[in-house]
Amino acid sequence: MPSGALLFQSIILGLLLGGMYALLAAGLTLYFGIMRVVMIAHSAFLILAAYLAWWTNDRLGVDPLLSLVVTVPLFFGAGVLLQRGLLSRLRPATLTMMSVLITFAIALMIEGLLGYAFTGTQRRIRLGYGTASFELFGARVAVVKLIAFGLAAVSLAALYVLMKRTQFGWALRATIQHRDAARLVGIDTERTAGFGFGLGLATAAVGGTALSLDTTIYPSLHWHWIGPLMAIIVVGGLGSVPGAAAAALLLGLAQSLLQIPMGATWAQTVFYVALFATLAVRPQGFFGGRLAQRF
Amino acid sequence: MPSVSKGVFSYGLPALVLIAAIAVFPSLAPNPYVLSSGVIVLNWAVLATAWNFVGGFTGYISLGHGALAGLGGYATGLLITKASLPSFAGLLVAALLVAALAVPIGFAALRVRGASFVIVSIALVLILLLVFQSWSSVTGGSRGLVVPRPFPGMLRPEHHRVFFFLYGGLLLLALATWWLLDRSRFGMGLKAIREDEDKAESLGTPTFAYKLTVFVVSAAFTALAGGLYALWFGDLDPVFQFSVLTGSYIVLMALLGGVRNLYGPVLGAVVVGVALEYFKVEFGNTPLHLVTTGLLLGLVVMFMPDGVIPSLGAPAKRLRKRQDSSIREVTAADLAEQRRGRTEVKS
Repeated sequence: MPSGALLFQSIILGLLLGGMYALLAAGLTLYFGIMRVVMIAHSAFLILAAYLAWWTNDRLGVDPLLSLVVTVPLFFGAGVLLQRGLLSRLRPATLTMMSVLITFAIALMIEGLLGYAFTGTQRRIRLGYGTASFELFGARVAVVKLIAFGLAAVSLAALYVLMKRTQFGWALRATIQHRDAARLVGIDTERTAGFGFGLGLATAAVGGTALSLDTTIYPSLHWHWIGPLMAIIVVGGLGSVPGAAAAALLLGLAQSLLQIPMGATWAQTVFYVALFATLAVRPQGFFGGRLAQRF
Repeated sequence: MPSVSKGVFSYGLPALVLIAAIAVFPSLAPNPYVLSSGVIVLNWAVLATAWNFVGGFTGYISLGHGALAGLGGYATGLLITKASLPSFAGLLVAALLVAALAVPIGFAALRVRGASFVIVSIALVLILLLVFQSWSSVTGGSRGLVVPRPFPGMLRPEHHRVFFFLYGGLLLLALATWWLLDRSRFGMGLKAIREDEDKAESLGTPTFAYKLTVFVVSAAFTALAGGLYALWFGDLDPVFQFSVLTGSYIVLMALLGGVRNLYGPVLGAVVVGVALEYFKVEFGNTPLHLVTTGLLLGLVVMFMPDGVIPSLGAPAKRLRKRQDSSIREVTAADLAEQRRGRTEVKS
């Protein structure tokens, strides 16, 4: 039996990790809600943002968080372009399948170009506060992990406010709920869908920068992330943002706790076990998803 | 509905050309390297054709077939090294094992449609990579698994030649099976699933049993190809055996050639397989082959979602489309056109 302190430490780390998962899975649920698109390239953009943050720090010597000023609008624009230029041009009948392939193709291109530009060498940001940590009721919490979690929390809160309180948020939710009805009341659904996509990709910019703070990055790292993220959105019920957040926290916590007896690699399997268990028992997802089985 | 266009020119003539090509290629190949590339291309052709049992008939796109091939390879290798089975007995038992394993996998994966299915198929590759890398006491982990050659005394070129013909035989077997399914009542049910699963179900097609059956058949052929690869190449590494890339190459090949066509995946495999070998020589180990693969896949999805064979046969296609495409597809295409027209008027 592991000691209480270790357990507590794992719970804290699990929650911090779960916050990151929640932010990234929120992006994936947005795409799925808006267009029934499974965006395989989400985690590739995540790694791209992490590389840009590293590059900012390495070349310009400034804090990687400053790269957000550039990457967030950049990724927003890329999301709009992606939706308007590629995804909205696919045939509606085969949209879901083909969108998987096209985003997969984009992921491959990003991975290849990152490998070409920065080589396959593993990179890590060196920060003044990189090794700093503090004690919280006997658990050691690294400052960078807390910053990452803070970024995730702030962006999720901003996303929530945006969706619930702004006119754009209403239009976006209307578009997600019923596209034709939204068009009937005068919403330009094409434009809204494009902006919604940009919003999703902007979360990848934040997530990637947060990730870059305390992870070693390399071009093929995105495969490592896409599995858990996909598992999270299936367990949470495709298209459900609260479901994804709940599943993210739960699975992040489970992964962190299982690392004590099983070790880091085997603990990863919890995502896939959860994925297959969900499909076998409740294919529409455990948290309020209602779209999953059809798409 | 076997129509005029599906007569001699669609099936018979290409079959003769294919058999002749397989028969003469080893004697035409200028050196063992070209011959070994031929084996690799045939391996891809078998994989793409096996994939087409699921992708072509039911419309379920699996990015995880690379995992099934990897399982076939590892099962073959382990049966030979750990259970000391003779090489080809190991291959057959491995294919049966993978087919049996495909039942629970398919049972979980095929309960969901479209996007969720693709997610599951990718997860399959990732989880197997994790397991085979970590469980090194059995699988050899990242050190790899050495599979003894089935013909120990044989020289290299002769070895390639034998395996070229073995793969050729397997390919013809897979194609014949696909052809038979295509004309059967079972195949009709599968195509009904592709067109509209709910309607097929309401008309009394046992859709789940059909999907599961065809998935198992596809898995068996994929495992055979993977097992043959293990016997031929003799060295397995989890990173290459359980790579998401393998699955994406297979999908690219099948889509490029055309999934509704018997020979589509073979054509795609020849085009992409040769290109891959060329990139390997030309770009070596740079990551640019990822970029080219991505670009090619993107272009195919955007501009030729039906594949090369249907796109090139445009005039014939126009005639055929009236005959055998479903109601749903026509309305969907119309819908898209309407929608595009509407937005253009607006802007």
